[in-house]
Amino acid sequence: MTISETSKIGIAILSLNGTLDALSAPEFRNNRSVIDPEKTVVVDLQQVDFIDSSGIGAIVSASRQKRQPTGGIVLSCMNDRVRKVFEITNAQKLFHIFDDTIAAVDFAATRQKSAGA
Amino acid sequence: MSMSSIITLTLPGERLFARVATQAATSVADLVTGNARHEPAGRDFSHAFELAVSEAFTNSVTHARENATAQVVKLTFLFEQRQLTVSVHDANDPFTIETPVPDIESFPENGFGLLIIRKVMDRVIYRRDGDSNILSMSKAL
Repeated sequence: MTISETSKIGIAILSLNGTLDALSAPEFRNNRSVIDPEKTVVVDLQQVDFIDSSGIGAIVSASRQKRQPTGGIVLSCMNDRVRKVFEITNAQKLFHIFDDTIAAVDFAATRQKSAGA
Repeated sequence: MSMSSIITLTLPGERLFARVATQAATSVADLVTGNARHEPAGRDFSHAFELAVSEAFTNSVTHARENATAQVVKLTFLFEQRQLTVSVHDANDPFTIETPVPDIESFPENGFGLLIIRKVMDRVIYRRDGDSNILSMSKAL
């Protein structure tokens, strides 16, 4: 898996590409923006061709470590294969999920602003 | 693939080899679905085996005995009566597949593997054979 990181209006955008499983999950979990509890991160999942419970666990765990309301994980561009695994585990209940990354960034920025970050 | 064909694959019990296991599962599933592998139902069939094998292989590696030497995970694929079965064999301690589903509201990091396997497969059977665990997962075309 590769992670490319960009930033838009102060929001980190992580675009994941490839497989998010037990082997690659630590790379996501140890990403600097993911670790930062105060940071809101948009995770673009469009190019994730496979995710399993280890990948779901890594995203759920990252979300748990965020300090609300300034920090958080927002998901975008879930393809059908990824969505299916989120739905099986019910993990989609834990996240704000957007069909496009721009909407996800706008949401994250608005939330950070209202939290006074 | 002829009826009752059996394919066996033995891999080192290391996380690094999980993708080899899942790619093998996808390839076998594609083989038995034939031209339908390009249809949504065929893609779902392959994805189900990719997921199930990823979860089972990861569990085998995660729960491997620390002092085990030459730890391996063996996969066997059997296709008969339009049903594909993959069995994952390891030499770990016995386990149960009757595990409770984690409460998602508590943000659990683990524990979803068997849930996913049960959801994507038609039939899941665990048995102990001597010192081996055998987890058999079946799905009909």
